[in-house]
Formats: sequence, C-alpha cells, structure tokens
Amino acid sequence: MSALNVTKFFMGLLCVLIAACSQQNPSKLTSHEIVFAIGQMPQNLDPRYATDAASERVNRLIYQSLVDFDANAKPVPSLASWVEVSTTEYRFTLNKNRILFHHQTPLTASDVKATYDSLATLKDAPHTAEFANIKSIIAEDNDTVVFVLKQADKHFVDKLIIGILPAQLIAKNHDFSHQPLGNGALEFVNWQNKLILKRVKDKQTISFIEVKDPTVRVLKLLHGEVDLLQGELPPELVKHLQTKSEIIVKTGMGANFSYLGLNMQDPVLKQLKVRQAIAHAIDRNAIITKVMVSNTRVASAILPPEHYTNNNIALPIYDYNPMLAKQLLREAGVKLPLKLVFKTSTDAQRVRFATIMQAQMQPAGIDLEIRSLDWGTFFEDVKQGNFQLYGLTWVGIKTPEIYAKAFGSHSVPPNGFNRGRYTDAELDKLLVDENWPVATSRIHAQLPYIPLWYEGQFAAMRKEISNYSPKSDGNWDDLATISVGK
Amino acid sequence: MFLIKKIASFATVIFGVLLLTFLLIHLVPGDPVEVMLGESASTADRVALREDLGLNQPLITQFGGYLNKLSSGDFGQSIHTKTPIIEMLKTRYPATVKLALLSLLIGLCIGIPLGIYAALKANHWQDIVVTLVSVRLSAMPAFWLGPMLMLIFAVWLGWLPVSGMESNTSIILPALTLGFGLSAILTRMTRTSLLEVLNDDYIRTARAKGLSEKTVILRHALRAALLPIITIVGLQMGSLLAGTVITETIFSWDGIGRMLVESIEKRDYPVTQACVLVVALSYVLVNLVTDVLYRLADPRVKFGG
Repeated sequence: MSALNVTKFFMGLLCVLIAACSQQNPSKLTSHEIVFAIGQMPQNLDPRYATDAASERVNRLIYQSLVDFDANAKPVPSLASWVEVSTTEYRFTLNKNRILFHHQTPLTASDVKATYDSLATLKDAPHTAEFANIKSIIAEDNDTVVFVLKQADKHFVDKLIIGILPAQLIAKNHDFSHQPLGNGALEFVNWQNKLILKRVKDKQTISFIEVKDPTVRVLKLLHGEVDLLQGELPPELVKHLQTKSEIIVKTGMGANFSYLGLNMQDPVLKQLKVRQAIAHAIDRNAIITKVMVSNTRVASAILPPEHYTNNNIALPIYDYNPMLAKQLLREAGVKLPLKLVFKTSTDAQRVRFATIMQAQMQPAGIDLEIRSLDWGTFFEDVKQGNFQLYGLTWVGIKTPEIYAKAFGSHSVPPNGFNRGRYTDAELDKLLVDENWPVATSRIHAQLPYIPLWYEGQFAAMRKEISNYSPKSDGNWDDLATISVGK
Repeated sequence: MFLIKKIASFATVIFGVLLLTFLLIHLVPGDPVEVMLGESASTADRVALREDLGLNQPLITQFGGYLNKLSSGDFGQSIHTKTPIIEMLKTRYPATVKLALLSLLIGLCIGIPLGIYAALKANHWQDIVVTLVSVRLSAMPAFWLGPMLMLIFAVWLGWLPVSGMESNTSIILPALTLGFGLSAILTRMTRTSLLEVLNDDYIRTARAKGLSEKTVILRHALRAALLPIITIVGLQMGSLLAGTVITETIFSWDGIGRMLVESIEKRDYPVTQACVLVVALSYVLVNLVTDVLYRLADPRVKFGG
C-alpha cells in the first residue's frame, strides 16, 4: 500500500540524515586530555571580579596569590612571606623561586602593587570595599612590597588572596575575564564551548565542560566522555558510581556550613524558645544518613571543628526531640500548629531537604510551608529580610570575621550578611574583642541560625585517573597534580 | 497591501513584547548590581555602579535609551560577562535553529507517514498500535526521555555522545527527544485530518476516475488535510525556535533557551531583552511562513482576507 511506501521513504530519509552526520569518536577528542564535568561554568576568570565558587576554584589554578590558608584555615605564605611592621603596615617579600607569568615575564612587586591598586579604581569589582582600608602600596624593589593601612586590621593578611596579574596587561586593560593570564600551575588555552587549561610543568591538558544535569554528568563519566566530576550529585548517584568497577569514588570531610536562617524581627521567631523548638524539630542525623553523601557531619557553628579558632567541640548538638520542641512552643505561648514559611531555591536537593524537614517538624507542631523560588528572587528576599526561614550554605569560609559579618548588629545588608537582622549587644562586644570561643558559644545558644551540617566532599573519576582527592572546601587544587594513565 | 498590514501588525507585536519584557524584568525582585557586587560591596560602590549602568534613571528613560540603541542594531553587552550580546546571539541562536530544524524534520518524517498509515487502517489493530505509541510518546517528558535515550544510545550501545556540542553526532539525541514528542502530535493530527476528508465526495470522484490510491491520498486527500497540520507545525516550530530549555539543559546544548533562563537568573537585563526579542521575531517569522504555506496548500485562502 502507498502509505507503507511513504513511510518507508520518510524513514529512509531520516536514516540517511542521521548517518550523514559523520560518526566521530563520541568520547574525548584528545586521548590524554583530562575532562572535568562541572555543574556551572566559571562566570569570570578575572580574580578581581570573580565571586562564584567555580571562578574562584579555577582562578586558584591560573593565578597565585600572596597568601593562602593551611588545613586549620591559618593564613600561610603562598607567593610571599610577610612581616607585620606595625599595626598599619605589612611588608611582603616575594619568594625567590617564584615562577614566571605564563607569557614568560617575571612577577615582581610592581605587579602586586598594580593588582591591588587597580581594585580601587574598578567601579564594578565586588572586592573593592574589602581593600578600601589600604592607604598606599609601595613596591620597594622587585621582591618587596609594603601595604600601608588607614587603620589597624588584624585580619588584613587574610584578605590578600586575590590572584596577582601582570602590571603591564592591567595598564592595557587586558580582558582577564575571558583571557586570564597569571603564574599559577595551569595556564589558559581557550574558552569556547569548554574551558581548556594546560599544566605549565608537563603540558597536560585539562578541560572543563558544563553539564548542569547531575544524571547526565554521571552518564558522561560512565561513557568515558569525562574523566572527573566532583560534588553536586545526589547520594543515590554517588552510591551507583561506587558499584562501577571502572569508576573510583573518593570521599572526604567537608567544611561548607549549611544552616537555616531565621528572621529575628519576626514576632514569633524572636523568641528563643521557638528557635530552640525548631532546632529540636529537625532530625539531622536521619537526613545525613538517608539522603546525604558519606562523611557529612552534624554542624554546630559556621567554622568547622578543625578551624584554628575552634573551641566548639564542647558545643551541644540539638538532638531530634519533637516532644521537647512541642513543649518549648507551648512554653513560648505559641498557638499550635505553628505555621512557618521556609524559602529555598529551586535546586532539587534543597527542595528535598525542605520536604524532609517539613515532615520531621510536623510531630513537633510546626506546619512548614515550603516556597521554592528562582535564585534571583530567593536571594533578594533573603537580603531584604523578606522571609521567616531560609536555607543556605556558607562556602569556603576561612576567617572568623564571618561571625561579625553574619551576626554583628551593624552588619545588616547592605553593610554585611546579617540577613536575619539579629541584634545582640553582648555578642557585639565579644566580636569586637575577638573572643571567638565565647562568641561561638553565645551564637550557638541564641540560635540566630539553626546549624545543620558540613556536607561531605567527594570526587568520582575514571580508574585511569590518579593523584586527585576532594578537598574540604571543594577546591580543585589537585588538578595541579592529577595524572592520567594510558 | 497584505505585506504592509502584516508588517504593521508584527511591529506592534514586537513593540508590545519589548515593552512588556522591559517592565516585567524590572518589576521582579533582584538587581544586577547586587548580583555583580555581592554583599561585601559598599553602598557608595553600589550607587556608583547603578549610575554607571544607567539603572538609576527612570524606567521610561531607560526604555527610550534601549530602543534608541536597538534601532541602530546595538543589543548592548552583557552586564556580567561584558560580552557584546550580538556575539552571544551569533553562537547561541544558530544552535537553536539547527536543533529546531532537525527536530522538526524528525517529527515530520515520523509523524506524517504514521498518521497517514493510521488513517488508512482506521479502527484496525495497526491504527490502535500507532495511536498507543503516539500517546505514549507525547506523554514522555523531555527530562525523562532524554536521559533514557542517552542511556540506550550512548552508555549501552556507545553509538552517540551523551551530550555536548563537540561532535557532529551530538545533535541526534536532543533532536530525537524533541522530534519524538512532535511526531506524536503530528501523527494524531494527520490521522484525524485525513479521516475527515477521506469520505468526501471529491475523494470518491477521484477514485471513480481510476486514479491510483497513492495519487488519491497524496495529491488529493493529504493536500486538503494539510491546513491543520501546517498550523500545528507552525506553532511547534515557533516554540522550538524559542529554545527548549529543558532539552538544551539536559544535553548541554548552548541554545537561546538556556541563554534566556541564565540571563533571568542573573538579572542580566540586556541579555534577557535581546533573547526575548529574537524569540518574538522568530514567532513572527514563523507566522508569516505559515500564512504563505496556507496559500500554497489551499489556493482558496486569500492573503489579507
């Protein structure tokens, strides 16, 4: 019959069209290229502008900064060592054996000066305000640079983590955002559909491709189109990868702090007993065991136990006790069920946590309404204080100054990160005195945040990959040493 | 006259879309300055940047300035990446067009023959099978069908890449994901339209004249049944050209749909406006083509009638 012929014709045409697309090796184009699949491409490879996690992680590989942090988050020399000449003057001496910029010119004190000077003149750089306290920068010679401050800042050194750029290119308004050039372990090659970097010491090529969907990232790893992925996967996919002989999954402790933020101006939430009730209405251990990757730890404070300021090991954990939570609510004079609105982003894992907490809070007499909003709207609401509860994570926090910025009475947005509008004169004094242990205990007792967990880190890689491990803050520093077998 | 009327109506639509988009994006919470500078920036820096970007001006002034630039073909640049938007569109839009055309082709190649076949075998088991398959296909969302196709054709069979745009064959799976959904709709539409005309007098006359069944179906019946199919194809093509965000995201296909969503997330106003403009223009153009196709399919249809 003619219809069958028509069908045959069209099907044949379709087959020809598909076959016409020349078959290439679907896996990597270069055999020794290491392909790293990430959920979000870096937004800006100019370290003066970068604020997103991916950009900062890549920039750590392309550029070198004066200072870095050790495992206990103490500032340590990276490109330079320093001496505190006075409370307002720091002298940095660049390492003798520092490597050249990728375009083969030497890195000198003038480059350091030009980098930090340029921050003051850029109108749209997010880090400008952090360096507003710099009075002058003096390049004494090729190896020595002196920072003079307007007023004393004990944590000034901690801020010098911006990658150093060549002065000559800064003067030419070079587009570092798209063509970065530093003196880090990896040098920039190209950035079209994928970001390609090359390791300076052995010319190993490392490519970053953006694959937003976690399931697709896993499929690409299994298919051999990518060699490595790190974090941002639901635990069931991690468990699935652990069963595959061709894949190695490495896990490690995390230091990124997840929490519930509370609006302290809300008439109900301003009562301590209500906040305590919410803390006792969440079964963190159950969530960690059931829907999180291994090595996730229950958290008590923003800075993890291994942090150098840490004395929070003795801090009690708010255990899951819905009966106690209900009793606390009754004592606070709250009519049950207590209706609360919880705002979160549209991220699937976040919504999942919210749904679980909603179920866990029910026996405690808390009726949680979840509002999942697009990131722009959600974050704007958080900054404006337009919320009762919200969920977020602090990523890569190293300095204890975060306590002042997150809970100080003067740090309400836009002057800081005190999004819950928490005011506490006693805490303010402790923060000014930098009495971190007591301040941490007070925050833990007053609960302007409900601490949740430090999510475990993991990396999954093809078995040919070696010398790569996940880091507690999720950085990708091991790309400087990663190797691929044949 | 037809053309003048059409152009006038399209210009009104485009202006309306531009105005509405401009107002809506400025009304939703979120601010590009906040996204760019983060929370650490000082108030003075925020004010300075807002001034620099012209965001401190009244909305009407901003809109006027935007239209003025647009009239000289200047889409502006991305607030975040500083890339000229025209450069972004030059890579993103062709990717979407390529995917849309291949998806449409797949949809047509599968949908129309299957629809004809189902109509000719109406109420027989073959018709029931085709109907069942097309209903199943139209019920499969892209976020499920896409990964299933990846699993089968990339991971298990190893024939095609999972996602991305590096290889020439990368387009096949996203195009199949979109094309299958489209083919299901076209199958149902072709079957229904054809059944409506198959018992008409002129078909009986054509058969009585001794024409072959092939000629009767393809030249007489199918042509008469084409109008609703063209309508559906036009609508579907419009939405394909607007970018299919889910499919583009799953397959890491850098098309205009992803670009639009990402720009909204970052409150990158100029990019959002440019994307919406391109999408609106696509719809308008597809509408125009649809009108012309009506005339070709049925000479009784008059332009401007």
